[in-house]
Amino acid sequence: MGSYLAGRLGYAVFVLWGAITIVFVTVRVVPGDPAQLMVGAQGTRQDVEALRHRFGLDRPLPAQYGSYLGEAARLNFGQSLRLEQPAVDAVAQRIPATALLALSAMALAVTASLPLGIVAAVARGSLLDRAVSVVSLVGQSVPNFWLGIMFILIFARTLRWLPSAGIGGLEHLILPAVSLALLVIGVLTRLVRSGLVDVIHEDYVRTAYAKGLALRSVIVRHALPNALIPVVTVAGLQLGHLLAGAVIVETVFAWPGVGRLLVDAISNRDYPVVQVAVLLITAGFILVNLLVDLSYAYLDPRIRYR
Amino acid sequence: MTRRQFLDGALTIAGAAAGASLPIQLGTAAASPAPASRTPAGELKVSLPARIVALDPLGPLAAEEPVRIVAAHVFDSLVVRDMKTRQYLPSLATKWESPDPTTWVFTLRSGVKFHDGSPLGAKDVKASLERMLKLRGPFAPLWAAVDTVDAPNDGTVRIKTKTPLGTMLANASLLSIAPADKMEQAGFFNRPIGSGPFRVVSYRPDNELALEANPGYWGTPPGVRTLRFKDIPEVAARVTALITGEIDLTFALPPDQLAALGKQKAVQIVSTPSYRYYFIWMNIKREPFTDKRVRQAMVYALDIDTMVKTLMQGIARRMTSPIPTTVFGYSPQRPYAYDPRKAKELLAAAGRPNGFDATMIWNPDSGPQDRELAQAFISYWNAIGVRIKDGQAERPQWLDKLLKLDWDMDFQSNGVITGDADFVLRRLYTTSANRMGYASPTVDTLLNDAAATVDQNKRKLFYAQANEIIWDDAVGIYPFELVQAYVYRTGVEGFIPTPSFPTFASVTVKR
Repeated sequence: MGSYLAGRLGYAVFVLWGAITIVFVTVRVVPGDPAQLMVGAQGTRQDVEALRHRFGLDRPLPAQYGSYLGEAARLNFGQSLRLEQPAVDAVAQRIPATALLALSAMALAVTASLPLGIVAAVARGSLLDRAVSVVSLVGQSVPNFWLGIMFILIFARTLRWLPSAGIGGLEHLILPAVSLALLVIGVLTRLVRSGLVDVIHEDYVRTAYAKGLALRSVIVRHALPNALIPVVTVAGLQLGHLLAGAVIVETVFAWPGVGRLLVDAISNRDYPVVQVAVLLITAGFILVNLLVDLSYAYLDPRIRYR
Repeated sequence: MTRRQFLDGALTIAGAAAGASLPIQLGTAAASPAPASRTPAGELKVSLPARIVALDPLGPLAAEEPVRIVAAHVFDSLVVRDMKTRQYLPSLATKWESPDPTTWVFTLRSGVKFHDGSPLGAKDVKASLERMLKLRGPFAPLWAAVDTVDAPNDGTVRIKTKTPLGTMLANASLLSIAPADKMEQAGFFNRPIGSGPFRVVSYRPDNELALEANPGYWGTPPGVRTLRFKDIPEVAARVTALITGEIDLTFALPPDQLAALGKQKAVQIVSTPSYRYYFIWMNIKREPFTDKRVRQAMVYALDIDTMVKTLMQGIARRMTSPIPTTVFGYSPQRPYAYDPRKAKELLAAAGRPNGFDATMIWNPDSGPQDRELAQAFISYWNAIGVRIKDGQAERPQWLDKLLKLDWDMDFQSNGVITGDADFVLRRLYTTSANRMGYASPTVDTLLNDAAATVDQNKRKLFYAQANEIIWDDAVGIYPFELVQAYVYRTGVEGFIPTPSFPTFASVTVKR
């Protein structure tokens, strides 16, 4: 287990380095200059040059990259070009909001898709099964900015049950979390269903029936754990999808998270913020994948890590 | 242009000319209202059309609209511009004079304190101006003529300039004064201290800025005790929040949302012409725009009145000059009528009877209805045989092209942040500015003279001539000046609509 974790850690560092490098190059290759954007249309050439010098952007790219890596190794990710704070602080400030939103959405999605998938699998081919398929397909295909706006119009403006924007109590969380959850409920439901359909005709399931167990415990105790591995894998991967969706949902619902910060940083070419945001999102992704892999051992006792 | 619009313009000129006084302008303390006995009460929740990106009014983001709006509540400046009379009134400075054309002396109000109780004096004014120059923020170029700033005593600031600075008061109205001994501390501007009517209580970026009435304010106490700026980027959510009462006031909504809100009982809409306007430049260094007749043809091809009615629906008026009516230096010009036949004749005379191909760059953050307008322009030009390609680009890419003069045509909006013609005309239309390739020695002289003249009446005359030449040369097309529509809930009282950067100190809220 120890050596397995060490191996994974080394791999994680490699992935993080790759992410840093790709982002570092990409943000600088796309047209647009942070100094010029900040000075705006009213500044002179000299103002832009002075700002570029202050940001260190007048140095050759390899030199910038070298010193960035050196500083990053010491966990110094530089000052945001626009916000009056270190880039890492700007991102860290907004992580709790995004984490709350993404995890709530994931919890909602899992809670909804397990029963939906089970019902669809058990009653395969029925009207109910088809209804679940249609609903999950729609949830997956409808753009979530549209869904978000519809939710605002229905639940905030017309019914006045929930607030339309901002962060605060539980009532503020409901609309954004549901809009985000709908993005993955479809995928997870279909996975639970197909996983169960695959195992439901296995011998051990028939044996479980034969020894007189009720349908409920056959499914929950015997069939479901074997269908869950792909579901957990995909749920982990979908967390990345959720973060991407959060960018849009956060804007629609004025949710002060990393997604909005990242979009703003990209459109203003705030390089340090973009870099550290992508780095932290990558780190989060690596961590989730590790947890997913470790959970396999729990779900399937045959899997052991060495 | 209708007769009515023409008269509006004429009145503006007459009013401003009568108000503008001698080269030496004297402010008096009596001009600012005596502190009333009212006690600030209640809460006002405002959502601005853009996010509050920073709280530093002297830094690199000082020209962003939300930064200026917040600054006007937390900080004071030496003078303020009265939006009705268009005169500069005393604020931190009770009087000012210009003993010679390159010297300005401001006498500070005594007894003014920052929010932490420390006194505000001449050294704070000096330090604020110096910080702004050092950071090379967007307003630094306005002060390029400054030679020295000194504080002969605690209540006097003396600014010497290398050449006369005709826009001194306009500039001074945008200079927020922060405490000299604290403003350079790290993190100061995350929760800044000023001397303004409100002080900062809490700032959560992308979420909410909470201000509360400054009990020790030297001027009229604000109407509300708490002022909250709530960040709601999505228009549908912002409109919903207004209808449900989550916010009390917002502005800069698209026309379709305004029309829907107009039917709501609990909501009022007030509009006022703004400092913002749309324009289209033609690159005068590129064929075929080198020919004035081609440029004029492009103007005659547009049915601007129809676009005002159908596309802008109350958020814009037809423009009558290269600068908006609200700005110092405005003078009305002879309008270009909608005349596609004349446009074709001009094209033929310029040797382009079959039109030509060109690209128009613009960015999707230009302003209200920008996409619809770009398409409308292109189809009007198409009707006279000119084929314009839609060159929409993301803002950073657009700005890059714009400044490199790498374009045929450019469509954008612009705001005259200082409210003075100098900010747009000299900055953009001189030969050395080289922003659209226009080079007119006459215009250069007029604009440079206007900038270096302290006598405001003379400046008006310079701008009147410059406006006329730029307009007749069709350096650009000036279709619309934008109308700022403020929307607020019933119960909000005392709000004064302004052409830019609204303030809420005068507002009271009854529930």
